Amino acid sequence: MSDTPPSDPGDGLSPLGWARRGFGHGFGLPAVMLMCTMCGIGGLVRDIGYPVWAGTLSTLLIWAGPAQVVLFGAVAAGASLPATALAVSLSSARFLPMTVSVLPLARAGGASLPATVLAAHLVSMTTWVEGLRRLPNVPLAGRMPYFLGYAFAIIGAGMLATHAGFYLYAVLPALLAAALLFTTPLFFTAAMMSSARTMADWIALGSGLFGALLLSPLLPSGLDFLLIGLVGGTAAYAVQRRAGRGAA
Amino acid sequence: MSFPGSLAEIQAATGGLWPYLVVIFIGFLPTELWRMLAVALSRGLGEESELLQWVRLVAAALLAAVVAKFIIAPTGALKIIPLWGRAGSLAVGISAFYGFRRSVLAAVLAGEATLIAAGYFGR
Repeated sequence: MSDTPPSDPGDGLSPLGWARRGFGHGFGLPAVMLMCTMCGIGGLVRDIGYPVWAGTLSTLLIWAGPAQVVLFGAVAAGASLPATALAVSLSSARFLPMTVSVLPLARAGGASLPATVLAAHLVSMTTWVEGLRRLPNVPLAGRMPYFLGYAFAIIGAGMLATHAGFYLYAVLPALLAAALLFTTPLFFTAAMMSSARTMADWIALGSGLFGALLLSPLLPSGLDFLLIGLVGGTAAYAVQRRAGRGAA
Repeated sequence: MSFPGSLAEIQAATGGLWPYLVVIFIGFLPTELWRMLAVALSRGLGEESELLQWVRLVAAALLAAVVAKFIIAPTGALKIIPLWGRAGSLAVGISAFYGFRRSVLAAVLAGEATLIAAGYFGR
């Protein structure tokens, strides 16, 4: 995370040139981690008896590993559809602040509404982290094409991996298939720890993790992590407000 | 026994399209809602807004709860790993994160190694 990309003047590069450069930069470690996660999701899709293209489509359209895990996990558990839609929506609520914070960077040099909507759709944990890290070093005029190119590479790799994961799942030793699935909790735990800044962030992570570990068996299935997320997040927010008031 | 308009009947009527409808209406739309809302709000609201901070913290807690579900309610192939193996894998991953200068890659690799060892020797 310390390898901050150098400022790139990219003298006279056309928008298409910036998009190509972003696309090329998309093939790195974050893409590899994402591909493992999406391979596991392809396996989940196979597990619940859905066709391979439903998985590939879910990566293109939903483009949020945790939401896909919530969705397919709920289908596997036979949860009700409205409750599942709500769970997916709440697990994706983070996209509101994530997208709000990365869009102004991407469209600082001006961008059409369609380009802005496309960029918003392509926001994911990977493209958000990398976008915030890379965009400040791209000249204003190149930012939107660079971000779109970068995100196209990441989502393309993710779709390939989801598709491949569906088939790999059938031939992989069971132990490796399990490891692939477990990349999701390992990667997201580490990524969230890596991005946690304040005490409130840690309270939210800790209460969500340990709250679910300890209380989930006692709460109604399907509603358990909603309740824990709401209570844990609200508690973290309350602590943050109190700390803020103390400092002010 | 099936009732008119029951889930089973809707599934039967949509045939092979059902999984795609679930992906679009139960997965895509509830997620995309937030991104499109962000397009509208990103001019007016600041990242430090109180509402957004609360939403972000709830989302973080939810995500962490989702991680916990992999341990307490494993799906598919993960069921062959004993509970202590899944919990131990996450614990080792977290330790490796701190042991190797907050490296996400180290956390994933160490966690995976632990999971595979637990699955291999734990049966």
